[in-house]
Amino acid sequence: MDPHAQILTQIAHGDKQALAALYRALEKPVFRFIRSRLNDPFESADILHDVFMEVWRSAGRFEGRSKVQTWIFGIAYRKVIDQHRKRGRVDLTDDIPETIDEDPNAEMCLAAGQEAEHVRHCVGQLKEDHQTAISLAFYEDMTYGEIAEVAGVPEGTIKTRIFHAKKLLLHCLQGRLQRGATA
Amino acid sequence: MTRDEISALLPFLANGTLEGKERAEVEAAVAADATLQTELAALRAIRETMQSEDSYSPGEMGLARLMRDAETQVPATRIQRPWIWQAAAAVLLAVVIGQAVLTNREPVPGGFELAGADDAPISAAFAPDTPESELRDLLLRAGVEIAAGPSAIGIYRLEPLEGTDLSEAARILRAADFVESLEVSDDQ
Repeated sequence: MDPHAQILTQIAHGDKQALAALYRALEKPVFRFIRSRLNDPFESADILHDVFMEVWRSAGRFEGRSKVQTWIFGIAYRKVIDQHRKRGRVDLTDDIPETIDEDPNAEMCLAAGQEAEHVRHCVGQLKEDHQTAISLAFYEDMTYGEIAEVAGVPEGTIKTRIFHAKKLLLHCLQGRLQRGATA
Repeated sequence: MTRDEISALLPFLANGTLEGKERAEVEAAVAADATLQTELAALRAIRETMQSEDSYSPGEMGLARLMRDAETQVPATRIQRPWIWQAAAAVLLAVVIGQAVLTNREPVPGGFELAGADDAPISAAFAPDTPESELRDLLLRAGVEIAAGPSAIGIYRLEPLEGTDLSEAARILRAADFVESLEVSDDQ
C-alpha cells in the first residue's frame, strides 16, 4: 500500500493542507537528491519548489502505475536534467562507460567508504546517470525497478549503470586512500 | 547468474531492497567469495556514510513559499471550463480543418511547418497554460510529433511516428485533461 496515495488524491481535489503534509514528508529526500545533482543549494531550493508546484498542478493526472514517491522523484529528475541542459551540461550517455579492468582493492575501499569527504568527492566525479543511480540506491534505498521508473529507462540499463558506477566509485575511493597514504 | 550480474546487484543487497530468488542467489555468491564480502562491506559503509551526512533543506520557509504560490494556481483537475467554450473550440477547429481541406491552404503563419505537414492526420488544441514538460510527455506517450503549428488560433497538426497506431494515439491524446479539442482525419 502506497502511504502517499490517499494524500495525493486529496491534493488533486485542491487540498492545500494535504500538499503541505506531502511536502513535509518528502521535502528532505527530494531536496537531498536535487542538491546532490546540482551542487547549488539555492538553485536546488528553486527546483524543489518547482517540483512541488508541479505535484500541485498535476496530482489529478497521477495514474498510480508507480509509487507516489517514485513519481515525484521522476519529476525532480526531469527538472534536474532540464537545468543541466540550461547550463549546457548534458552528459547523459553512459552507453560506453569508462572501463576499468582490474578489481579495486575492497579493503581500501571499505576504509575510504567510511570517510564522508572521500565519498562526497568520488560520487561527485561520476557521470550524470551514474550519480543519479548511486544517489537513488544509497540515499533513498530504492530498488533498481524504482530507479528505472525515475529515470525512465529499462531495469537492465540501471543494472548496467550501477555496475559501472560502483566500479568507478570504488576505484576513486581506493585512489584517494592511496594518495592520502603516500602524501 | 554471472559474476558481473552478481556484482551489479550487490548495491541492492547493500541497501536491503533485493528480494526473493535474486537475493538468495546474491547472498549465496557472497557467502562463497571473500572479495565479494569485502566489497559488500565497502558498499554498506558508503551507503551509511552518505545517509549520515547532515542535510540542510528549505524546510518551513520552502513550505511557506509553496503555500503562497499554490494559492495562485489551481490543480488541473479542478479547472472546469464552461461547456460553451469547449463546444465553440470544437466548432472552430472543424471549420478551420474544413477550410484547409477545401482551399488547399498556404502554410500557417506564425507557427512552423515541416515537409509533409499537410498530411498530418491529427489536429489538436491544448490548454494555453499547459507546461511544455507535460505536452512533451503526452506526445511521447502517444507516439506522435508536431508536424506544424501552432496556428494563429493555437492549433497543432500532429504526425504519428513510425509504428504508432493512429486510433491508439488519438485515444491517449483525448484522455489528457489539457487537450481541449482533437480531430483525426478519416482518410488516413
